[in-house]
Amino acid sequence: MAIDLIFFVRTLVFPGFLFLLVLVLFFDWFERKVAARFQNRMGPSYAGPFGILQPIADYIKLFSKEDITPKQTNKFLFVVAPILAFSLFVFALFYIPIDGSNVILDSSFEGDLLLVLLLVTLANFGIFLSGWASLNPYSGIGATRILTQFLGYDIPLILLAIGPAFLAKSLSIVSIASSQVTVPFILLIPWSCVLFILVLQAELEKDPFDIPHAETEIVGGYETEYSGRKLAFIKLSEDFQFLIGASLVTVLFLGGFHGPVFIGPAEFWYVFWFIVKTLGVVFILEYVGNVSARLRIDQVVHGNWKLLIPLSILSLALTILVEPLLRSVIG
Amino acid sequence: MEKFETAVDVLKNNLADAIVELKVPRPRKAYILLKSERHRDAVSLLLKHVEESMLSTISGVDLGTEIELNYHMVCGGTVTLKNRVPREKPVTKTITDILPGANLYEREVFDLLGVVFEGHPNLERLLLPDGWPKGNYPLRRDWTPPLIQENDSGSEEDSQNNSEEDDVGSLVSVVVGPQHPVLHEPERFNFTVDGETVVDVKPRLGYVHRGIEKAAERMMYFQDVFLVERICGICNAAHTTVFCQAVEDIGNIETPPRALYLRTIVHELNRVHSHLLLLGVGGHLLGFEALFQHVWRDREPVMDIIEQITGNRLMSGFNTIGGVRRDINPNTVEKALKTVKAVRKRAVFYKNVFEEDATLRLRTEGVGVLSKEVALKLCVVGPVLRGSGVASDVRKDDPYAAYAEIPFNVPCYDECDTWARLMVRVDEVVESLNILDYAFNNLPGGRLRVRVQRKIPEGEAVSRVEAPRGELIHYVKSDGTAYPYRVKVRAPTLANLLAFPDAIRGGYIADIPSVMGSLDPCFSCTDRMAFVDTANGQKWRWSLDDVNSHKNRRVLL
Amino acid sequence: MTKKRRRLPALIKDMGSCLFKKPFTQEYPFVSVQAPEGYRGRQTFDPEKCISCGLCERDCPAKAIELVEVSGKRMPYFYLDRCIFCYQCAEGCPRNAIQLSTNFEMSTTEKDELLVKAEEFISKQNISSDEGQ
Ligand code: SF4
Ligand code: SF4
Repeated sequence: MAIDLIFFVRTLVFPGFLFLLVLVLFFDWFERKVAARFQNRMGPSYAGPFGILQPIADYIKLFSKEDITPKQTNKFLFVVAPILAFSLFVFALFYIPIDGSNVILDSSFEGDLLLVLLLVTLANFGIFLSGWASLNPYSGIGATRILTQFLGYDIPLILLAIGPAFLAKSLSIVSIASSQVTVPFILLIPWSCVLFILVLQAELEKDPFDIPHAETEIVGGYETEYSGRKLAFIKLSEDFQFLIGASLVTVLFLGGFHGPVFIGPAEFWYVFWFIVKTLGVVFILEYVGNVSARLRIDQVVHGNWKLLIPLSILSLALTILVEPLLRSVIG
Repeated sequence: MEKFETAVDVLKNNLADAIVELKVPRPRKAYILLKSERHRDAVSLLLKHVEESMLSTISGVDLGTEIELNYHMVCGGTVTLKNRVPREKPVTKTITDILPGANLYEREVFDLLGVVFEGHPNLERLLLPDGWPKGNYPLRRDWTPPLIQENDSGSEEDSQNNSEEDDVGSLVSVVVGPQHPVLHEPERFNFTVDGETVVDVKPRLGYVHRGIEKAAERMMYFQDVFLVERICGICNAAHTTVFCQAVEDIGNIETPPRALYLRTIVHELNRVHSHLLLLGVGGHLLGFEALFQHVWRDREPVMDIIEQITGNRLMSGFNTIGGVRRDINPNTVEKALKTVKAVRKRAVFYKNVFEEDATLRLRTEGVGVLSKEVALKLCVVGPVLRGSGVASDVRKDDPYAAYAEIPFNVPCYDECDTWARLMVRVDEVVESLNILDYAFNNLPGGRLRVRVQRKIPEGEAVSRVEAPRGELIHYVKSDGTAYPYRVKVRAPTLANLLAFPDAIRGGYIADIPSVMGSLDPCFSCTDRMAFVDTANGQKWRWSLDDVNSHKNRRVLL
Repeated sequence: MTKKRRRLPALIKDMGSCLFKKPFTQEYPFVSVQAPEGYRGRQTFDPEKCISCGLCERDCPAKAIELVEVSGKRMPYFYLDRCIFCYQCAEGCPRNAIQLSTNFEMSTTEKDELLVKAEEFISKQNISSDEGQ
């Protein structure tokens, strides 16, 4: 019985669904505020202290808005795709250890890093479907752009994620994080981390890679036809994806939830360090996103095949080469 | 100046048999009445003998029994070639085969005055809505709006046919506009794309027609100043300056030097904020949000100075016939000089950004190329022309206001791409700030304005200024009353629009915004002719309050 | 002209320094903003000075003025919804009965409130401000 209770609390409240939702909304706010400050604006500032409740207000607004399903769309896909994407992202986030272990206790296994990457890819496929089902030229172009960009950038992403896994001699996220207790991998293989962040920028569709929903080119991209609840789901999945991306950097390169534990329960400090590190990653992602112009899809594709894939292979090779030297410092 | 004299000489020597009347009332302004149908010879002569000569516009005037077509040719100054066609049977030969840039102007005259140009490649509606009844030409003098009140409107169907083109093979048609994030004003572009490549584009204008040219005939000259000011918010000072100049030209009014300097100041402030606006928008169009916000932040002090000098952030209401309406006090001058200095520092910084930033350059270099030859043929103007390697600027070629006394450079780039067009604007901001510096420091004393009678003597005048977006030309004809007989406005965007299909063809969808942005389109300038409310089809009214509102939007997408 | 080398985004430093700057934007309705002197805002009218000549009505390019009989004298009503704030009326008025004010907060949800009546200046005689809400 007690096991069940813990299970439910962990999946639904902490650190499961509810906590993740709050976390995602908080990150949404942080991202907007940082972007605003980069641009010398105020950003959200009315709802709650420093506008911290603004994302909640926005989602409440979206959920209460009229939900239109255009006539000519493929109804089934149009409705299912955003929900599919959303749930896959939530599922993937369940494998990120935030308070020292996965959301579902003891569910960590050798290879869950690959599972998370796979889930993210699948979820993006869901987003692609949502655009494809809209049958709007803008959505269509946006959807094909997702596919082009995403499929291309998945390869370097996985290659780069293998680096830390190799150092940790494990494909399980928890043990990768745990092997960085003494020295986070960013100090050992910084080149890998820099490339990873760059590729992540493309995965998260942030500038300079926000091509699939480049508003000045193709209006809303894949989400052009969406409104109300379904749009809220798409937006939520984007936010979730953002959190996943940022936390992947945290667990792979920054030592995840580990950090100095002061007083009180270790779990609290785990969560604390995890959030602080991830916020740092978000800050960097925003910085890069704000300081560059959007590239063109052909440039992105070329950049991927001609530059990033060779570079990430090189980076992996370099990691393997220097690994014996680093072995001594890895805990 | 020299160029202008060569032009007149060439016409005098080679075309003496065709010239009925030749007047040169002012330096660099010639009006030549030709025998009917000789305009083609005159135009080709000018193109052949005068370097970099272009067509500004064609203005049609209804003279009662005849329609006079004025071909305003730019060659140093303005040579206006007049060709008259009978009103009963208004047919003449096209010049598009000699000068493709005349395309839109001929269509405009066809649309609004019903003159048929034989041999024109696609003589279609330009500004009026598709459902506009046939045989109604709003700019003819006897045309009054109630005439078409009972007409049923077939507009819906017509426009439907127009907008939905079949997708052939892998070609998909993407309709941009009338409402689209890249367009800040309603206009429609029908792009045919193959994957991500643009194959063709067809623009459709006329969504913001307000009938200003017609309305201007019904208001007194001094009231028209406020009307033309509202053709475009951003270049309002350019419009009032050029209109006042034209009227002053007709009435032989000497504007006091202090007024000329003050006009220059407001005009240049306008240019600075307009260019900064565009550079910011350029950043936005390229997805560079921080640049967008930063440039706009730095534009704000300029707006504050304009507000302090003129009394409004945007609608300056500053110029009037015979001078300017307000003086500027020493405190403001001091503050303005400080602002100019601060903004110049920022402008130099942005120049660096545009010059060096890797992502910006990746997106703008080699994109939307418009070669010098094509640019001249299509008669584009302003920064677009200067970005294509032609250093032509009305302020230098045909100085007005105080520009003859102020030293400044004309920036010009040879790259012919989007980047060059943006760089021209960055450089121009710096130049304008230098002009402002000079003008504020050398402000002459004296009167602000001279008294002007409400009635303006009979006559006609062409006047040109360099608006932020390029050469802006007004043609005013007076019949001796307090109301103008005809006001013709050619805003720079109409001239540059023709270049857009050429620049974008073969490019990527992703280039549409940046190329479009680099032409700096301003559709409220371009569309100013008719007021239409397609939503309820039958309501055609012509009062100024309607003219001032933009009710005629129509959503097709 | 030789082009400069492409470099990393030049805005990096500028953006970073913005983090420590006060935001440039203002929380407008919560902090009051003052228009500079000479701003062409809502008209004020001096009924004492007006001689009912009707010049303002004739000259107004937007036809935003109507002369209306008020307490035995024809005086202008201003239709702010049509007014373009050009101040031709003030310029033309032989007695300077029309003056400008720097009040720019004229937005309202009631169209009726956009009518500036001569009466309101008779009762208050002073600059009326802050209408709406
Ligand atoms: S400010 Fe101009 S538009 Fe307004 S009432 Fe006066 S004259 Fe008319
Ligand atoms: S112009 Fe002046 S004096 Fe004449 S009616 Fe108008 S407000 Fe009165």
